[in-house]
Amino acid sequence: MSGGAELLAGPPLPAARSIARRGWILRALRRDRTTVWAGLILAVVVGASLALPEVLPYRYDQQSLDHTFEGPSARHWLGTDQYGRDLLTRLAHGGRISLLVGAITVLAEIFLGGCLGGIAGYAGGVLDEWLMRLTDMMLAFPALLLALLLAAILGPGTTTVIVALTLAGWPAMARTVRGEILSLKEREFVVAARAQGASAVRILVAHLLRNAVHLIVVRATLDIGPIILTEATLSFLGLGVQRPMPSWGVLIADSFQYLQTAPALAVIPCAALSTTILALNFVGEGAAEAMDPSLRAAP
Amino acid sequence: MIRFAARRLGFMLVILAISSLIVFVVGRLAPGDPVQLLMGDLRDPAVEARIRRDLGLDRPLWAQYLRFAGRALQGDFGQSYANPGRSVNTMVAEALPATARLAVATVILAILLGVPLGVLSAVRRASAVDFLARLVALGGMSLPSFVAAVLFIQWLALGWHIVPVSGWGELRHYVLPVLVLLVQPLAYITRVTRAGVLRALPEDYVRTAHSKGLSPWGVLSRHVLPNAAISVITIAGLAFSYALTGAFVVETIFRIPGLGQAAIGALFLRDYPMVQAVGLLYAAIFIGTNFLVDVGYAFIDPRIRYR
Repeated sequence: MSGGAELLAGPPLPAARSIARRGWILRALRRDRTTVWAGLILAVVVGASLALPEVLPYRYDQQSLDHTFEGPSARHWLGTDQYGRDLLTRLAHGGRISLLVGAITVLAEIFLGGCLGGIAGYAGGVLDEWLMRLTDMMLAFPALLLALLLAAILGPGTTTVIVALTLAGWPAMARTVRGEILSLKEREFVVAARAQGASAVRILVAHLLRNAVHLIVVRATLDIGPIILTEATLSFLGLGVQRPMPSWGVLIADSFQYLQTAPALAVIPCAALSTTILALNFVGEGAAEAMDPSLRAAP
Repeated sequence: MIRFAARRLGFMLVILAISSLIVFVVGRLAPGDPVQLLMGDLRDPAVEARIRRDLGLDRPLWAQYLRFAGRALQGDFGQSYANPGRSVNTMVAEALPATARLAVATVILAILLGVPLGVLSAVRRASAVDFLARLVALGGMSLPSFVAAVLFIQWLALGWHIVPVSGWGELRHYVLPVLVLLVQPLAYITRVTRAGVLRALPEDYVRTAHSKGLSPWGVLSRHVLPNAAISVITIAGLAFSYALTGAFVVETIFRIPGLGQAAIGALFLRDYPMVQAVGLLYAAIFIGTNFLVDVGYAFIDPRIRYR
């Protein structure tokens, strides 16, 4: 069994790892077919979400009450919903929203978590302690509860979802970045930069954060799945994306009452959502493994 | 050990105080004037002034917060805006048992199923059990609870007619909600147990235990499992949180009169005292669970106590 050999070999030395990293990623990806397939599926979902609304002749809120609950046909490839709206159009629009919310949230999370984690790790001392206490506190709060309280203040909506998910997501990112910065800041190249008179900001951005980029990318990839999932959950509860704008969560929520008569209305968006999240999780784990061989022992 | 627990307890109380502040702010920043909500169509300045005074809204913000926190400590969250004449306490007390029962049943089942599955899959790596465990783990993490609900309703209720779709009160009404709630905690517990055992298996002490002639089961139960237990405890705490937040979705779908449904309902009705009560109760439960997990760590692993 290959597992034993991997465990015995252990992670390569840090110096060797950073030099050989690029080769590692490509080679690992070549061996990791699952990740490649998941990546392809993801590319199809992203491509379809971006392209289909431009190509299809329907608007997402275009009703046609003569054609409700139609099955798949040449005009409506996935059929129509309770108001005769084209399901494929709505599915693609929902995908746009989900992916957009995921992308914005992850970028905001990288910015907030990267800055605060970087500062905490580099500055150390009291600032570090308090920032980590803050992340402790935020991590104790589930994203859904945070979103619920925020929805009470801001009202339900897409912005609320993005703000809530960012607030819930940055602590994990900050901790990842801080941990890496802590180990990096004692290394020779940082000492050398400091000896040359580089400013703290320059050391942090050009030397420390730049060397933590691979970890940030892995963390971000792993985070997008849960983010999209929570967005769908909030929209499902009516706290996220507001009707008639579709999101996968909204599509599933609206089709619930027709589960007995028109199950496809629920099953199709469910399949789209689950496939996307499954693919994202596979890609995230694949990226994590490819960039950090020591993770390979984990499932 | 006691010093460690005391420090964590202090930290817990600070977080709880901050949470109460956040929840208080939610009530104040939220759109809509509670006095108007309570008065309805009545337009009488004298009555309005009296309600304002009764609610303490005429006093400075810090005094309002102290009043809110003081009452919250005594477990009093005032009157519901949406159901005049009813105290939020009674509403919470009515809704809590359903949610608590679901959450406890879910966590117990998740541990009873997830730990053996994780251990088996780690010990028999690359076997059919391992495949099943990894499918449960990755699939469960990718399956939103409402999607799981759609699937289970389709199969078990509409397809095979084994259990009722909704309703509340009898044991059979628990089946679908618990199954749906179970999906994610089971995935995480299986995954973490598997990883913990896999990490412990190649250690020297395991080899030593094998070579001194201990039975495979003895090695597993005496040496491997205790070392994998730490991560499982964390995740069991997390599972409880999952089950409680899952209540928002599951109770809405299955129309279960629990805290989750009450909170969502209160949010749409702008019944802020109710939102505040549920928010603070949830925060207290999460923070309490975290505290128990931390102390549980230190109890199991002596190394943590001295850090």
